Amino acid sequence: MPAPHSEDRIEVTRAAIPNAELARQVRTDEDGAIATFDGCVRNQSHGRKTLYLEYEAYEAMALAKMQAIAAQIHANYGIRRVAIVHRLGRLEIGETSVFIAVSAAHRAAALDACRYAIDTLKKTVPIWKKEFFADGAVWADGELPPVPAETPTAEPASN
Amino acid sequence: MTVKVLYFGRLKELSGTSEEIVEVPDGALIEELFARCSTARPELGKFRASLVAARNREFAAWSTPLIAGDEVGFLPPVSGG
Repeated sequence: MPAPHSEDRIEVTRAAIPNAELARQVRTDEDGAIATFDGCVRNQSHGRKTLYLEYEAYEAMALAKMQAIAAQIHANYGIRRVAIVHRLGRLEIGETSVFIAVSAAHRAAALDACRYAIDTLKKTVPIWKKEFFADGAVWADGELPPVPAETPTAEPASN
Repeated sequence: MTVKVLYFGRLKELSGTSEEIVEVPDGALIEELFARCSTARPELGKFRASLVAARNREFAAWSTPLIAGDEVGFLPPVSGG
């Protein structure tokens, strides 16, 4: 994996995410566009009233996967800077669970990169959400990340 | 040899632990490690089709051979964002 860009900010945190600060941090005089995504806690899920959420992560791997997303959007969209911050622990209704900000010279790159980043995060970053309702709690339905192909069973064992 | 096993989300609740050290034969595959972990916990085995494994923080096929000291995570479908 290429070295992280020094101006990028890739974190998981148990504190409130500083959305405005992150959006400011990706801003440069060379760029004409900043796209942000603010993922926030909804007050209902599948018709049930949500009380609050809890997020947990495989933190070391989650950070590695978020850094991989940053590297991909630098390489594929030519963006200048990116911030991806995901919150863990208990979150109340309306709070930000994930915030992404990217800067680029033009709007198409910024918007496309931001969309790619959140879509890929939801599929590949090992973070889990538990939804708490008045009458119980459930782990949210998630997506099974893609894994490398299985070794064919016909291959002889090495020992 | 021993490897470190990590459980997350509902798997952590089912297993009653977030991590453990497990003894497996040299060269054991992730599939075999999971079978060993499930022996004492039949509930865990039922999730085989709806989880993925990671070896040393990278997603890994079930047929991946392990070496001593590896860190293997068993991960339910991810739901961040």
